[in-house]
Amino acid sequence: MLIIATAQVVYFQSCQTRDARFSQYYVQGQQLYVQYCSNCHQKDGTGLGLLYPPVSQSDFVDQRFSEVVCSMRMGLRGSIVVNGREYNQPMPGIPYLTDLEVAEITTYIYNTWGRNRGLVTVEEVQRVFATCTP
Amino acid sequence: MLPVLLVAVVSILESCKTKELPLPIFGERKVVNGDTLFHRIAPFAFVDQDSAVVTNDTFRGKVYVADFFFTSCRTICPIMKTQMLRVYEATRDMPDVQIISHTIDPEYDTVALLRDFSKRLGVESGRWHFVTGVKDSIYKIAQTSYFATALEDKSEPDGFIHSGAFLLIDRQGRIRGKYDGTKEEEVNRLIVDIKKLRREGNP
Repeated sequence: MLIIATAQVVYFQSCQTRDARFSQYYVQGQQLYVQYCSNCHQKDGTGLGLLYPPVSQSDFVDQRFSEVVCSMRMGLRGSIVVNGREYNQPMPGIPYLTDLEVAEITTYIYNTWGRNRGLVTVEEVQRVFATCTP
Repeated sequence: MLPVLLVAVVSILESCKTKELPLPIFGERKVVNGDTLFHRIAPFAFVDQDSAVVTNDTFRGKVYVADFFFTSCRTICPIMKTQMLRVYEATRDMPDVQIISHTIDPEYDTVALLRDFSKRLGVESGRWHFVTGVKDSIYKIAQTSYFATALEDKSEPDGFIHSGAFLLIDRQGRIRGKYDGTKEEEVNRLIVDIKKLRREGNP
């Protein structure tokens, strides 16, 4: 009986930690998004004309998780197609963003505007970074 | 008695309505032979996204808004362009209101690039000129005519220092307003002032 109770406590605690971590990442990610991304992509994620693509309703963001994560640090160059429209404004990367900051921004983007991917961990981001092509 | 009162009230209201403070005139002024000479935008000649030459004459008899930016800027320019687009849209039906955006990176921002940039921004009409030209001329007109900062500085993240100011210029080439082009409320004030300035020319 005691064992079950202990197990439950442990279970709840780990669950709570994950939830607390999610909220922390999400709130922090929102602030970082506003600071680093919203100049071009806008606070509401709608982008600007055919210069800066949307990140809110965006098939590119939905389908190309790794490229989105890589682009935050390494930037993105050349033409891309988002929602069937072509964009070609170079996006400068922000090399000094830490793995944690990228995880926070990614958590924000992938749990806003109708998405609910859940927490994006630092480990997940590091795994993606290992695959980025310069 | 009552009609007299009514007339008095109406005339007070009328006087309130017509009493609109004029916009200030910026810059130094000199008095020559009893006439006040105001600071005016110096003569300039740049080329816009349609390869047309843009000079002071382009804006003769028109009210215009000026700013300084460059297309590869990721700091304040995208916000400025978002806000300038609001000005452009708010003045859609005013052919006598124009916009000039000077690039401060003319080596990179060629006519072709500015043309692509303006199209992608959704600018179709000739009311908004994206101009390039001789770098020193652009920096000089920024500093001495528009009182806006524009400098090259390799230590800055994007390589330039520049202000996010929007300048409102009247039909006689005088500065009548200065606004922070990165702040929505300031740009709201600019849009109100544009309408005010148009009324001034057509009483």
